[in-house]
Amino acid sequence: MRRIVFLFSACLCLAISSRAQPALPSIGGGFSSAHHTQVKLLLSADTAKPGDTIYAGVDLKMEPGWHTYWKNPGAAGMATEIKWQLPPGISADEIQWPLPEKFPPIEVTTYGYTNEVMLIVPLTLASNLPSGEIDLKANVSWLECKDVCIPANQDVEAKLKIGNEAKNSADAATIESWKSKIPRRDENWAIRAQWEKQAGGDVRSLIIEGTVLRQTKIVRIDTADFFPDASDNFEIQAATEKVPNTNALFCLRKIVKKFSGNWPKEISGIVTLEGSIGHENIEVNLPVVGQSSVGETTSAPDSSSESRTGVAPVSNLIEKNAETGATPVLPLMLLYAFIGGLILNIMPCVLPVIALKILGFVSEARSSPRRVRALGGIYAVGVLFSFLVLAAIVIGVEAAGHQAGWGMQFGSPVFLVCLTTLVTLVALNLFGVFEATLGGRTLDAAGNLAARHGASGAFFNGVLATTLATPCTAPFLAPALGFAFSQTAFTIVSIFLTVGLGLASPYVLLSWNPAWLKFLPKPGAWMEKFKIAMGFPMLATVVWLFSVATSDYGSRVFWLGVFLVVLAFAAWIFGEFVQRGRKRKGIAFTIILILLAGGYVYALEDKLHWREMIDETDTTSLAEPSGGIDWQPWSPEAVAQARAAGKPVLVDFTASWCVTCNAIVKPALENASVSAKLKEMNAVALLADYTRTPPLITDEISKFGGAGVPLVLVYPKNPGAAAMVLPQPSPLQLPSGYEKIVLDALDRAAH
Amino acid sequence: MKTAIALFTALTFATAAFAVEVGKPAPDFTGTDINGKTIHLSDYKGKIVVIESYNSDCPYCMNHYKTGAMQETQKDLAAKGIVWLIVDSVNKKNFSYRTPEQARKELADRKITATAWIDDNSGDIGHLYGMETTPDMYVINKDGTLVYDGAIDDRPEPFGDPRTAKNYVRTAVAELIAGKPVEVSQTKPYGCAIKYAD
Repeated sequence: MRRIVFLFSACLCLAISSRAQPALPSIGGGFSSAHHTQVKLLLSADTAKPGDTIYAGVDLKMEPGWHTYWKNPGAAGMATEIKWQLPPGISADEIQWPLPEKFPPIEVTTYGYTNEVMLIVPLTLASNLPSGEIDLKANVSWLECKDVCIPANQDVEAKLKIGNEAKNSADAATIESWKSKIPRRDENWAIRAQWEKQAGGDVRSLIIEGTVLRQTKIVRIDTADFFPDASDNFEIQAATEKVPNTNALFCLRKIVKKFSGNWPKEISGIVTLEGSIGHENIEVNLPVVGQSSVGETTSAPDSSSESRTGVAPVSNLIEKNAETGATPVLPLMLLYAFIGGLILNIMPCVLPVIALKILGFVSEARSSPRRVRALGGIYAVGVLFSFLVLAAIVIGVEAAGHQAGWGMQFGSPVFLVCLTTLVTLVALNLFGVFEATLGGRTLDAAGNLAARHGASGAFFNGVLATTLATPCTAPFLAPALGFAFSQTAFTIVSIFLTVGLGLASPYVLLSWNPAWLKFLPKPGAWMEKFKIAMGFPMLATVVWLFSVATSDYGSRVFWLGVFLVVLAFAAWIFGEFVQRGRKRKGIAFTIILILLAGGYVYALEDKLHWREMIDETDTTSLAEPSGGIDWQPWSPEAVAQARAAGKPVLVDFTASWCVTCNAIVKPALENASVSAKLKEMNAVALLADYTRTPPLITDEISKFGGAGVPLVLVYPKNPGAAAMVLPQPSPLQLPSGYEKIVLDALDRAAH
Repeated sequence: MKTAIALFTALTFATAAFAVEVGKPAPDFTGTDINGKTIHLSDYKGKIVVIESYNSDCPYCMNHYKTGAMQETQKDLAAKGIVWLIVDSVNKKNFSYRTPEQARKELADRKITATAWIDDNSGDIGHLYGMETTPDMYVINKDGTLVYDGAIDDRPEPFGDPRTAKNYVRTAVAELIAGKPVEVSQTKPYGCAIKYAD
């Protein structure tokens, strides 16, 4: 009888507790037992095709102070569980968990989430699924804790249409951004686990260390940690101790407690790293090798461990690197920086400014050599000053915790509009529409004012040359900059200044050697014509900038054009009536102000919305299937998927404002022989659009030692092999020359 | 040398954190129970002792009590002469803290059978034994050796009937009484984190 009563009350309690209703007895006392977590089911697609895989996002939003748990809750707690009720033909995969936080205290550390987390579940649709609408249901159960813990569960559901055309849902972007927070495997890292000592008792310390495979630039890891997966027989304690180790980029000690059975032969979990590479969370499955003293390079364990993880033991790789001598040092990088700066002079970006420089030299050559030297020096100062500003921006961006990229300011629409305006004014100035003097008076006292004009002009030329140089990269420049971005502020500044020195050096040299000036033609009437002629390359730069702005503004860019016309008109009035005119200057000024203000308010603010970019549509503008290549948008998942299928992958990192990308790389890639080769190899072609400098791509580029675009990668067929980074195109290299490099890399990738 | 020192300190810290080790003598402690009496572990030498770490509001504990499973175990073992000590290490500021009067009422309401309910709001006993969760169970032999440390059973759920699970405490006590070695001596405890005074 008692048993029946017990069972009955047990069932009752079961019914009550499984509903987690407020009907808990006063033992729970006083607080509201309504859920403190809101749960929703989101789907990445509104319509899906049979055979597709879509992603479900189970979103848990917790009230402040409350948390839920990771797949390994830690010392206490309970992992969130999803029980699916799916119609036939749909199967749910394992939950993909974003990286959790650690909750104190250290003795009872738990892993979980606060505020919000979205658990991602891949849903596979059978290929013979009939069309129609289906209901996806699930029961989500979790434990939410603050001062007390409350188990709770909730039914969720979502509808999905099956049809012929896949259509993303409005939640697809949110799901995608949560997906990117899920730790993944990373073949660039060689990580291993080993016991520190022989077993003795039920507590043993474990060393986890790792290094990066391709060391083309200095990588610095500031913090490293390991989040273990749950296991029954043993527990990896939450406390992590950093261990100094000159042979690895990171080395940590974890304490393992054994409950039963033997010591584990393999551990799995997440390695989280933070440092010059930004944040990286790596999913790992590590065989635990026998003990050795920390810091020694032991002989490689048997090759079975290598094939298991697909990655060579850490010690081997470090030796390999030492052999190839791929450890860059600062002096070498400075040399690269200087040469890179030098080469920048002949890149298409900077050429228009060269013309101005020559003009400047010729006009000054008649004055004293000292004057010429001074002007050369001032130009150099202008260049160096601009590089200092760039360095400060990079330092600021990195201090704010983001990854910096070379040319990243072109991702800002405001910068683009300002630069376009500036270059337009320079072109107008060259056409003679107005004069650019500070005093407002024109060429009266030729000596003095020309001198003043000369000085400010030289400085301004230096600044302009640097600003226009940034969308271009040069050989030697990429590794130097890539190295710089990962270093201290001092190193960043010194490398940037060295690039500046390289850029300015030809002119400084020229100005110091008056003898060479003899080879320049004598000043004369031709100068005026030459000046006007040089306005046209400037105009070409305006057109290029305008086309870059198109990707930011879409068809609204029309209003930028309108603004430029108004600007030109205002410039003419300025030149004609204020500078060259004698009376009615006041009225002229007023008209100019009205024009500029009106142009700004109406054209830029109101019509163009110059501070806002258009919503990023797909990258069809860059990824037009030209040359027969079917470019897919790049994502880390796309790479992983292709590699898992054993296909080689070609990745092109490019941006619409990147001149080298569009002038050399794009024509090299998009031609018949490359596309034929890709088809032959059954390779996947991915395009990473860096136009708006998304941080995910900045991070990825820095992983390969690059600083910006262009960057071309070829992942070989063998999923265990590392990616090949194609060399930077040199300035004189024709697309056909670069094409050979691409074909060669693809050949090697096929094996 | 530096590595050796670091390693030594790490392991000392690690072992200190697990101040109790199965197979070693269970450390003696002193506490005050909810009736105001002073309790020493050594008072019970010569008897089998079960220690239960307890939190009135933890859903895992609550499930054991609501279903009556825990009370049943306590009663059955008490009939066999086993000493059952409840250690409540919840700190005073926490919501789940029970004053001695509240605790006495709860003991009666929930029909708990225990030799003593120790108010460990300072957390001393909890830290000494490395208690991490509630419920966390310890079984001590007649001669004072710790023979079991870990979860109460193999079913870490805050709902359902614990009687369907394998109860490690019952098994360990039965093995001790029969003079057999305790087979499962250590498992990973489950439940809510203990609300220590930190």
